[in-house]
Amino acid sequence: MNAPALLAAGLVDPFGFGASASGWTEWPTGIREAIRRGEVDPVRWSLVSDSDPARFARMDWMCRLGMMAAELLAPAWAGLDDAVRERTAVCVETSVGCLDTDVRFARAPRPSLFAYTLPSTVMGEICIRHRLQGPMVCLVSMRAEGRQALGQALDWLAGAEADVCLCLACDAVDPGHAEAGRLSGIGLPEAWRAAAVLLGRGDARTGGADLDGVDLMELAARACGRPETT
Amino acid sequence: MGGFVGGAVSGDDVVVAGSGAVTALGVGMGPLWEAVRTNRSGLEAHELTVGALTQTVYSGRVPAAALDVLCAETPDLAASRPALLAVAALREASGAAADRIGGTPPERCGMAVSTTKAHVEALWRQVRGESVPELAARHVRPARLAADLASAFSVKGPTVCVSSACVSGLLALAQGARMIRSGAADVAYVVGVDLCSYFVLSGFAGLKALDPEGCRPFDKDRAGISLGEGAGAIVLTRGDAADEGAVRLTGWGSSNDANHLTGPSRDGGGLALAIRRALDRSGLEPGNIDHINAHGTGTTFNDTTESLALRSVFGAGPPSVSASKGMFGHMLGAAGVIETALCVAALGTETTPGSPRLREPDSDAPAGLAREPAAAPGLRRILKMNCGFGGVNAALTLERGRS
Repeated sequence: MNAPALLAAGLVDPFGFGASASGWTEWPTGIREAIRRGEVDPVRWSLVSDSDPARFARMDWMCRLGMMAAELLAPAWAGLDDAVRERTAVCVETSVGCLDTDVRFARAPRPSLFAYTLPSTVMGEICIRHRLQGPMVCLVSMRAEGRQALGQALDWLAGAEADVCLCLACDAVDPGHAEAGRLSGIGLPEAWRAAAVLLGRGDARTGGADLDGVDLMELAARACGRPETT
Repeated sequence: MGGFVGGAVSGDDVVVAGSGAVTALGVGMGPLWEAVRTNRSGLEAHELTVGALTQTVYSGRVPAAALDVLCAETPDLAASRPALLAVAALREASGAAADRIGGTPPERCGMAVSTTKAHVEALWRQVRGESVPELAARHVRPARLAADLASAFSVKGPTVCVSSACVSGLLALAQGARMIRSGAADVAYVVGVDLCSYFVLSGFAGLKALDPEGCRPFDKDRAGISLGEGAGAIVLTRGDAADEGAVRLTGWGSSNDANHLTGPSRDGGGLALAIRRALDRSGLEPGNIDHINAHGTGTTFNDTTESLALRSVFGAGPPSVSASKGMFGHMLGAAGVIETALCVAALGTETTPGSPRLREPDSDAPAGLAREPAAAPGLRRILKMNCGFGGVNAALTLERGRS
């Protein structure tokens, strides 16, 4: 197989958001801080596409960030027909997963929150939104740099099990809100970011990308033109 | 925790070298298989109180006496029940595999851990103001549990932790097989573990998904699931088709319904995709499958969806079908591993399992649904499948070599 082609990338982090198609947008006060202060309505802010805001509002922050990163791939989604979507794989890698949602559920169990107490739920939300039915896996690693997710995607492409792969590295721990961080012994890194890349099979036209051992966060940041000094 | 990037896939076969289990039936594959042979259920009724609500639920919890024995054997793990159960299952599996894997350098050993909620019970207790041991708090995070399990078995090759709802176990087996076939490891320890926690019980109770009389998969009176807890372990290694009597993991596949977060697609199309992908990878046709071990949760929609998926792939006359969750409950992230271990034992003994607690099959149950276990001389190929929240589906195929 030719080297895989990077079809699109999207990134959301505390400072701003970006897409490989449109470049990086820095938020003056930082996007996470702006949301925390109420200067930005996250539901309205998320409307970079025609996704359902009511559905978005129901999600936990892990799903919201993951969905935002996936929405930033929008121009590439439009090019995938139904047959390709049935063979579009999704691999999610996370470190903390939905731990903050777990704490909220443990405090006050309610059915609407229960579905979000799985780190793989973001995968389901993205699949529903974009009608993706290829191979799936959600991996939990210590740092969620996305190397494992990329490795899995390369395998699926090399084995012709998928035509396109979405790789997502996602964590949504806001130190200002993280209830789980206040529980002793659990220990949470500060991580509020999501990087998404869409990979296809490379050919002579698209060229290829050497992705062996690459950090997904760095790959997305480069593709989106995010300044290193932010 | 080191991951791995897959390389070229070799033609080597992936062989099951050993299995281990801790379930509501007790510690070991022995009690589990005895329950299969006698079609016995380990589900028991107990009271569940969440907030102001108390209800009777059936679940498959590891017996207290068995836990006492495990705590005495490994007192340093007594503070973390998921680690305690997983290590016990792994010890049994690696002991059974010793002839095949002995002497493998730690750098050539990998591990794939599957869990949905790790030690979420420790989080539940902390939120309620209780102090919990340091090890228990540490294992709230699945990646830390996986890293500690890898360390306990001196694994220095790739370690991955799969948390993909109720298909986690089958996907972890696929990860283990991938380690072997890519050349990243010669031995892959695969272990699935989950607890019957108040956290998860209260979630399913809130969804009104617990059968108050205990689960009865594919029964006309089924009314929901029963949760189970425990650990299953399978050791995978490299082998070839000439291995007499060895059970090979020949195919695996997954898919998404892209339909609903907590309910299956009504036509079974997503699950059928996963089954076809597993069959394609193994080079098998539906007619080559001798037996199917279903997901069989006991919810109305899941079981109906599975029946439709099987009809779609196998036509009106599928092979015999068993559903095992009436025996030990739904073990969530451990389900795929423990149910696959059961299938390996079925191939080894040429016996097809039954479906404990099944009284009267529903009119839409699979045609080949078996109530009782049965001798099956020549049994060679089994299809195993699971489905989960988020619309995920997974299937794998097992094949026993001719002996």
